[in-house]
Amino acid sequence: MTGLTGEMIIFFILALIAITCAVIVINAQKMSHMILSMIFTFLAIAGIYFLLRAEFIGIIQIIVYAGAMAILFVFAIMMTEHKVVSFGTEQHQVHKFVSFVGVSALLGVMLYGISTLQIPAQSPQYVGTTKDIGLELYGTYVIAFEAAGILLLVALVGAIVLARKEAD
Amino acid sequence: MVPLTSYLALAAILFCIGLYGVLTKRSLVIVLVSVELMLNAVNINLVALSSIGPVANITGQVFSLFTITVAAAEAAVGLAILIALYRNRKTIDSRKQDLLRN
Repeated sequence: MTGLTGEMIIFFILALIAITCAVIVINAQKMSHMILSMIFTFLAIAGIYFLLRAEFIGIIQIIVYAGAMAILFVFAIMMTEHKVVSFGTEQHQVHKFVSFVGVSALLGVMLYGISTLQIPAQSPQYVGTTKDIGLELYGTYVIAFEAAGILLLVALVGAIVLARKEAD
Repeated sequence: MVPLTSYLALAAILFCIGLYGVLTKRSLVIVLVSVELMLNAVNINLVALSSIGPVANITGQVFSLFTITVAAAEAAVGLAILIALYRNRKTIDSRKQDLLRN
């Protein structure tokens, strides 16, 4: 590995955007800022997919996450509390501290595991086309595909039933 | 080429940010967004291993499609529950949802 290639630079820019916007999601003071940085996180992750030559997944990521799910969250915020993010002063600072320490420990362990990972001979980049995905989806995983369709139908009906006004 | 460990490290960092949000935030909308962040971290792992992993093949991308489907269904049902909760209890503060506590 000699110096920074263009791919490396793009990767670091995208990773920086994703991590920064994820931190903003956690710390934003206004709900609108939170949603906006969430969309930027998802777009940066879509860019990571393009970098990995998984174009179909990247496009699906943009459509489903940055498009549909962002609108879903905007509507949910509109119909619930949307003025402020915080609910007054926090009485449970200990809980926050313990969570931070625990998550940091988990991150440290994971990063240690990743850095000491023995990868057997980095293979050349595999480029899966949309045709490959379709063949696999309708061949090997056709039952899982149908199950996913049923799951989406059940989720659609369930969401309507749950969110509808009780007519009594 | 970007090494595989960089992608895995990015996914681990995003996962931990999401986990911290789930554990500490009081607004249930932000908790759901954090869950989506964690699922996205898993997707990065799947796609990275499917593209430049030791045994790179298409299966990882197919599985990440399933993950995205389940995440979308989860978000829709979760937000519907959130709206029903807000209608009944007038708050989405997770600390105030303590009906089972006393």
